[in-house]
Amino acid sequence: MDIGIGVSKNKDISSALKEVVLTARQNLNNQTPDIGFLFSSADFASPSLLKGLHLYLPKIPIVGISTFAVLFNSSILRHSLALCLIHSENLKLSFAKVEEVKKNDPFMVGYKLATKLLEGLKSQNRSFAFLFLSGIIKDGSRILSGLQEKLGINFPIIGACASDNFKFKQMYLYFNDELLTDAVVGVLFGGKLSYNFSFACGFSPIGKFHKITSSQANIIKEIDNQPAINLYKDYFGLDNSLLKNYLKYISTFYPLGIYLKEENKYLLRKIISIEEKGWLTCQTDVPQDSLIRLMISTRQSCLSATENAVKELIKEKINMDILFVFNSISHYSLLYRIADEELKTIQSTIKIPLIGVYTYGEQAPLRRYPAKTYFHNQSLVLTAIGD
Amino acid sequence: MPNLLTLWDLIPFALLLIIILLVVILFFKIKKINKLNLTLTKLQKDIEELDRQTKLILRTDLELNKTQEELDKKIIALYSLQNISQQLNKTLDEQGIFSCIEPNYLEDMGFEKATAFLKSPQDKRFKLMLNIGYNENEIESIAKEIESDFYMNLIEKNKTFSSNSVESPIKEKIKDLFKVNHFVISPILTSENKKGFIFVGTESSELTSGNEELIIILANQIIQALENSQLFEKTWQAQQELERKVEERTQELSKALEEIKAVSKRKTDFVSSVSHELRTPLTSIKGYASILLSEKLGKLPLEIKERLEKINRHSDELVQLVNDLLDISRLESGKISMKIEKLNLKEIIEGIKDLMDVQLKEKNIKFNFELSSDTEYVLADRQQLERVFINLIGNAIKFTPQGGAISIKTSSLDGFCQIDITDTGIGIPEESLNSIFDEFYRVDNPINQKIKGTGLGLPLVKRIVEAHGGKIWVTSKLNVGSTFSFTLPKT
Repeated sequence: MDIGIGVSKNKDISSALKEVVLTARQNLNNQTPDIGFLFSSADFASPSLLKGLHLYLPKIPIVGISTFAVLFNSSILRHSLALCLIHSENLKLSFAKVEEVKKNDPFMVGYKLATKLLEGLKSQNRSFAFLFLSGIIKDGSRILSGLQEKLGINFPIIGACASDNFKFKQMYLYFNDELLTDAVVGVLFGGKLSYNFSFACGFSPIGKFHKITSSQANIIKEIDNQPAINLYKDYFGLDNSLLKNYLKYISTFYPLGIYLKEENKYLLRKIISIEEKGWLTCQTDVPQDSLIRLMISTRQSCLSATENAVKELIKEKINMDILFVFNSISHYSLLYRIADEELKTIQSTIKIPLIGVYTYGEQAPLRRYPAKTYFHNQSLVLTAIGD
Repeated sequence: MPNLLTLWDLIPFALLLIIILLVVILFFKIKKINKLNLTLTKLQKDIEELDRQTKLILRTDLELNKTQEELDKKIIALYSLQNISQQLNKTLDEQGIFSCIEPNYLEDMGFEKATAFLKSPQDKRFKLMLNIGYNENEIESIAKEIESDFYMNLIEKNKTFSSNSVESPIKEKIKDLFKVNHFVISPILTSENKKGFIFVGTESSELTSGNEELIIILANQIIQALENSQLFEKTWQAQQELERKVEERTQELSKALEEIKAVSKRKTDFVSSVSHELRTPLTSIKGYASILLSEKLGKLPLEIKERLEKINRHSDELVQLVNDLLDISRLESGKISMKIEKLNLKEIIEGIKDLMDVQLKEKNIKFNFELSSDTEYVLADRQQLERVFINLIGNAIKFTPQGGAISIKTSSLDGFCQIDITDTGIGIPEESLNSIFDEFYRVDNPINQKIKGTGLGLPLVKRIVEAHGGKIWVTSKLNVGSTFSFTLPKT
């Protein structure tokens, strides 16, 4: 498998584009790429970027998302553009998009995407799928259910939601020469390739169990028959206005953990806003009647979890040519000044090109195959691919 | 007959016994349930107690996390300011100064939007120097609005103000224009009377005093960088002017040099031509004088003979002068052909000594030479080299009093052989040292007044040495002696 990565911090879009294309092509030894992954900060996301890229690389499928910062080897690059080109004789790929996610039934969105992806791969065997979503997805788990209905309940799906600079205003998807804001994009990998993935969270439960007594998609209305906000008011001793001021800390450091009985693990949900009625809006859906607990983390536990994910990834010896990292933006907030330590931890063990993004939501199975894919917040997913 | 109890009679007893047993079991069960309930209540109490402790942990942890993040933010902001400062120190063009403020650094200092405007005294409008976070339309509106007296007055006050310090109506006006929740505006006033300001803003809900202070420092550093840039501009212009003048002067000098060369060539040609023209009549004069002196044409009276001898002697001197002049002009014009060969210095010097031996003995002058082992051979034209030695040793003999000494030493220097001829003569006055190699220059001393010379010996020596690619120079001290040094290429 040949990998060509180009990265630029040039403020001028056309100059940056030229730089990344030339570097990526050069690093690819001028092979014709089978696919290009485009990751950039929101300031690069424009139709002109994609049209320009299409002119440089006509007929090459392009997929990707906008992000708070591009992860490249051991660097966190804000306000930057990155292109990762992949070429392999053994790789079979299928790409598809579904638009108008907000307007349609999320389950059907996932189902439709899976159908298109399978059609694209025809009779080839399928290995795993990459899923890209545009920012905040109210009912992400239902999209996954739709995908799993068609692809198989235990089919590995690794995904990332676009992110921005914590403003939740500019989150884009890239699909060929289109800039999308309300869509899902999938890439189905098939053929003779080796791959592996691992998952890191770094949070532990704290306090007693509580029950979601009323919720709708990503809005938690009541916990223990009380307005949802009361949970945080009670634990942190803060009134509504103070809670709003402290929200960025609380949402990052103390997310909710939905207890998964069958896995005996917790699925994290980040609070992104507090509504007037005391409801809590999460980054994605929270099922009613779920048992939840508050979760807590430290910088050390976050880094240890990443280290364990790396160990898990290399446990099975496979050929690895490129490592994709989909990392929650909360990990950046949590680690902040030492955020690059996470990448250094990965790169110190896995010495292959690393490309990745910060996300507003990650999709991955909690453990190795066979395992169901879940929609996560506050996690890190590593995916290694090789021939 | 006693009545025998039938099985049926026992049933009530058995039932009673069972009931009693069940009551006992129920009693114990109830007791156990009560005990379990007590345990459960205790466990619930423990859980609640643990949850209360959890709350305490969470509240403390939240404060710690908040403090740590604030501290981290301050450290990162300081790093960013340091990075900007380092780049500012290296930047000397005006636009480049503002380009040092990159979006990354701005975000790390707590802001997402920034603009800067600057106006020189000759400018009518403000010039946009920095734009982070605004689209073309937004920046156009801002540029239009800041031309008003309101912003000029704010700049003239030369005071930084922020959303924390400014009064509400003004604050709202600025917030609306720049589309932010919090802001800092710091004026930029330079000694060259450039006026402007840097604006930074954030949509977030807080502005700490620390952030404001960082922007004040940043604005001061920008002012300093602008001052440096202006100073550099002035220095650069002065340097350009100087370079232009040097170029002009160089051209003038080159032109003058060309003219001098042309004049010199004309002079050489003239001297060469005149010398040739003089040699023929001189040969005739000397020839006729010699014939007359031989008295083959008749006996001459003593007075006429004395006059003819003078004519003959002066003719010889004149021929020598003409020959020297011809050699100089040939060397200058490169017309002289030299046969460069490997010459043994010792052999040459010994030959010269033999030639000069009579004169050396006449004045009882000690002559010695010492040659270093690595300067045994030189590359030179034999005839010309002998002329150099004859001239220099001849001069040494001439100016060295009775009983003096002349020594020759050689040494090796950068592929050349240096030959030093030292005498214990009368020495050369300091003011004459720079002129002795000039044509017709003669040092004013009693010996020169007494003994005639052409003043062409040393100029000829200089040209011969230079024609070999060497150099010649002299060091001297009055009444102590002189050393003439020259270099020749080694083999």
